[in-house]
Amino acid sequence: MTTSAAAVDRAPMPGMKVYNLKLGLWVFLLSEVMFFTGLIGSYIILRFAHPEHFAEPGVVLNVPLTAFNTFVLICSSVTMVKAFAAIEQGDQRGLKRWLLATIALGTFFVGVQAFEYNVLASEGFVPVAEEYHAVGRHQPLDGPAIGGPLYGSTFYAMTGFHGTHVTIGVLCLWFVFWRARKGAYSAQSFGGVEIIGLYWHFVDLVWIILFTIVYLI
Amino acid sequence: MESDAQHKQSPYMLIWVVLFVLTMMEVFYAFLELPKVWLAAGLIIMAIWKALLVALYYMHLRFEPKRLWVLAASPLPLVAILLLVVLRENF
Amino acid sequence: MSTTEQGMVQKAEPGVHHDHHELPFIRQYIFSTDHKMIAKQFMFVSLFFLVVGGLLATLMRWQLGYPGQPMPGGGILPDAMMAPTPGGAVMLPEFYNSLVTMHGTIMIFFAIMPLLVGLFGNLLIPLQIGAEDMAFPRLNMASFWLAVPAGILMLASFGVEGGAAGAGWTSYAPLSASGEYTGVYLGQQLWLVSLTILGFSSLAGAVNYITTVVNMRAPGMTWFRIPLATWALFITAILVLLAIPILAGALIMLLFDQTIGTAFFLPEFDGEPLLWQHLFWFFGHPEVYILILPAMGIASEVIANRARKPIFGYHSMVLAIIAIAFLGWIVWGHHMFQSGMNPMLGTSFMISTMAIAVPSAIKTFNWLATLWKGDIHLDSPMLYALAFVSLFIIGGLSGIFMASTPVDVYIHDTYFIVAHIHYVLFGGSLFAIFAGITFWYPKMFGRLMNEPLNKVHFTLTFVLYNLVFWPMHNLGLQGMMRRIYDFTQYEYLQPLQPMNRFITTCVFLLVATQAVYAFNFFWSMFKGEKASANPWNSNGLEWTVPSPPPHGNFAETPVVHRGPYEYSSPESDTDFLPQTAPPRRQPDRPLEPTPTPEGA
Repeated sequence: MTTSAAAVDRAPMPGMKVYNLKLGLWVFLLSEVMFFTGLIGSYIILRFAHPEHFAEPGVVLNVPLTAFNTFVLICSSVTMVKAFAAIEQGDQRGLKRWLLATIALGTFFVGVQAFEYNVLASEGFVPVAEEYHAVGRHQPLDGPAIGGPLYGSTFYAMTGFHGTHVTIGVLCLWFVFWRARKGAYSAQSFGGVEIIGLYWHFVDLVWIILFTIVYLI
Repeated sequence: MESDAQHKQSPYMLIWVVLFVLTMMEVFYAFLELPKVWLAAGLIIMAIWKALLVALYYMHLRFEPKRLWVLAASPLPLVAILLLVVLRENF
Repeated sequence: MSTTEQGMVQKAEPGVHHDHHELPFIRQYIFSTDHKMIAKQFMFVSLFFLVVGGLLATLMRWQLGYPGQPMPGGGILPDAMMAPTPGGAVMLPEFYNSLVTMHGTIMIFFAIMPLLVGLFGNLLIPLQIGAEDMAFPRLNMASFWLAVPAGILMLASFGVEGGAAGAGWTSYAPLSASGEYTGVYLGQQLWLVSLTILGFSSLAGAVNYITTVVNMRAPGMTWFRIPLATWALFITAILVLLAIPILAGALIMLLFDQTIGTAFFLPEFDGEPLLWQHLFWFFGHPEVYILILPAMGIASEVIANRARKPIFGYHSMVLAIIAIAFLGWIVWGHHMFQSGMNPMLGTSFMISTMAIAVPSAIKTFNWLATLWKGDIHLDSPMLYALAFVSLFIIGGLSGIFMASTPVDVYIHDTYFIVAHIHYVLFGGSLFAIFAGITFWYPKMFGRLMNEPLNKVHFTLTFVLYNLVFWPMHNLGLQGMMRRIYDFTQYEYLQPLQPMNRFITTCVFLLVATQAVYAFNFFWSMFKGEKASANPWNSNGLEWTVPSPPPHGNFAETPVVHRGPYEYSSPESDTDFLPQTAPPRRQPDRPLEPTPTPEGA
C-alpha cells in the first residue's frame, strides 16, 4: 500500500541467484579444495623430490579392491542424487530409501578402507617413518622393503583425511535421514538434502582424483 | 520448471554408466606398457573427465547460474600456482 | 525472508525475528546468535589477548634491555621460566624463545585477526549492507565459541612441562618437529592443535561473511555502493577461505611428524623442511593481507567522514583491494629468500613483490587526495586514521627494501624486519583498530568515548610507538638479529646495548599508556555521553538505526539510492547525504524545463 507511483521493491539484491544455504555450502567446498590441495600437493611434491620412496601401481597397494571401492562410492553418489530427485518430487519414501542406500554404501566404503589399512599395516606399510618396511602385496614379510617412509606418511594422510570426510558425511546423512523421518523436507523445502548431496558428491570427486593419483600413477 | 526437473533427471543413470566405464578404462590403462609421462597424462585426463561429470551433473553446476561456475573454479588457479612454483624447487 | 528459485522460501532462523520477547541472559549474552553481540564477544576476548601479547613483549624487552640481569618480581614466575637469584629472577633462554613465539602467535592470531575480522566483520557487514543479521547466525555463534577453546589451549601451553611453543610463530621444521631441538614437547603440539581449531573458527566466519555480502544486500545496494570497510572485509574473507586450509594441512602434517612419527618435514627420512616453508608462507602471505585490508577499509570510512569529502577514487580503491588480494598469492617466496630455494624462483618473487606495492600506493594516494582541501575534523578517530596512513607508508617503504632479494639477503631475520612488521601491524593495523573502535563505539554501546582522554592516549601512543620501533631499522642494519636471547655475546653488537635499553624503557611507558584507552573504554560504557543514531553525521546504513541497534537491525528493509561517500554533496542541504535518503528528483515528477537563451 503505497502512495507513490511505483511500489518500492524490498527484495534484496539478487547476488549469486542461489539460496543462502546452497551458496554457503559451495563457498565451504572451495576451502575443502584448498585443504586437499595442501595434502595432495605435498604428496606430488615429495614424490617428485624422492621418487625412490614410492612404488609402481599395484606393487604395495591393492588396486582391484580399491577400484571396486571407487565404484561403490560412485554408486553412492547415484543413490544420493536419486534421494534428492525424490524429494524434489515430494516423494518422502523415496527420499528415505535412497538416503539409507547412500549411508549403506558410504559405510561400506569406509569399512573397506579400514580393512585395507589393516592389510597394508600387516605388510609393513605404515605411516611411522621408523617402522616403515613395506614388503609389497603377497610377499614374504622378511623380504626387502619397497619404497620409503614418505610413501607411508603421504598415503595415510591423504586417504585418512578423505576417509574422515566420508565418515563425517555419513554422520550428516544420518542427521538428514532423521530429519526426513520427522517430515522436515518437502518439494518446496529441500535445502538440507541438496547441501548434504553437494558435500557427498564433492567427497566422491576428491576420491576420483585421489584414486587416480595415488593408486594408478 | 517442470521440463527442467525432467531434464535434470535423465542424465543421472547415463553419467553413472560413463563413470563406471571410465574407471575401468583407467585401471586398464594404468597397467599398459607406456612411458610414465603418457600414463600420467592419460590418467589425469580421465580423472578430470570423471570429476567434471560429477561436478556438472551430480552437483548440478550445469544448471546453475554461470556466476556459480566462476565461484567453483576460483581455487583452481591457486592450485596451479602452488604446484607449479614448488615443483620448480630442486629438492 | 526472500523467495528463491524453485519456490524455496528462505526460512527465518528461529529466534531471529524482530518481535519476540526478551531472551534469557545466557542466550542474549553468552550463546548469542546476534552478530552485534558476537562482535562484542570477539572484541572483549581479543582485547584481553592484546594485553597478554603486550605483556609477553614487555618481558622480552626486559631481557633485551637488561640482558641476563635479574628482573624485579620475576620470582613469581615458575623456575622453568626464570631462575631465581637475589633481586628477582633471571630469564632462561628457553623461556625467551617461548616469549618470542607466543608474542607473535597471540598478537597475530588471537588479537589482530579477531579484532579486524571477528569484531569489525561481524559488527559492520550486516549493518552496512542493510541486512538483519548474518546469513548463518548459529554458525556465527559457533565461530566465536570455537575461538575460545583455541585461546585457552594456547594459554594453557605456558603451564605444561617444557613450556609453550618455542620455534617462532613461523614454526619452521625441523626445529619445530622434534622436541629435542627446542626442549618443548607438549607445548608445540598444543600450539598446533590450538591453531587448527582457530582455523575452523575463521573458516566458519569466512563462509558466513561471503554468503552474507553476496546474497543479503538491501535493495539498491549494488556492488559499487558498498562501503569500503565491507568491501575490504569481504575480500579478506575470501583470502581467509582459501589460505587457512593450506595452513591447516601443514599444521596437521607437522603434528603428525611430532606425534605419530611421519616424515613430511624430517630430513633424516628424506622429508623436506622447505616444503613446510612453502606451505606456511603460501598461507602466510595472504595472511598479512588479511591483517591489513580491513584496517585499510576502516581508515577509508573514517577519513572520508572526518574530512567531509567523498573518498577520492572509490572505484580504484575497490580495484586496489582486489589487486592486492590477487597479487598476494604470488609473492610468498619473499619470506624465503635466504632459505636456499631455487634462485630463479627468487627473481620471480622479487618482481611480483615489487608489483604489489602499486595497489597499496594507489590507496595511499587516494587517502591523501581525500584529505586535500577537506573540511578536516581532527578528532580522535581521524587522528588514529591519519597515524595509520603515515605509519603504514613507512612500513610499506621498508617493505620495498626487503622485496629486493640482494638487499633482503643482508637484512633478513634482523631487526629491520621487526621494524617493518611492527610498522604495518601496530602502526598500521592497530592504529586502525583504535580508529575503528572509537568511531563505532557509539553504535556498539550507545555512548561516546571521552574525547580529551583519547587525544591523550593517541599522542602518547604515537610518540612512544615511534620511539620504540623507528630505531629498530638502525639496529637491524647494524646487524642485530631477531629472536636472540643475548645479542651481547657478539662483540660487534655490544654498542647497540644502550639503544636497546632505551627502547625497553619506551616499551614500558607505551604499555602503561594503554591503560588510558582501557579506562576510557570501560568508563564510557557507563558514564559516557549518550550517543544519537548518527553522532558523526555519516552516510552509511549503520547510522540510520538507533545506537545500539535493536535485534534485527532495521525496522523495515532499507532502500539504497546512492554510494556511501556523498559528503559535501550539492544535492544535500548539509555536508552529508545518507545512502538511504530518498532521491531529490522523483521519477514521476518532470524536471524543471531548461531556460531558453534570450533571443534564440
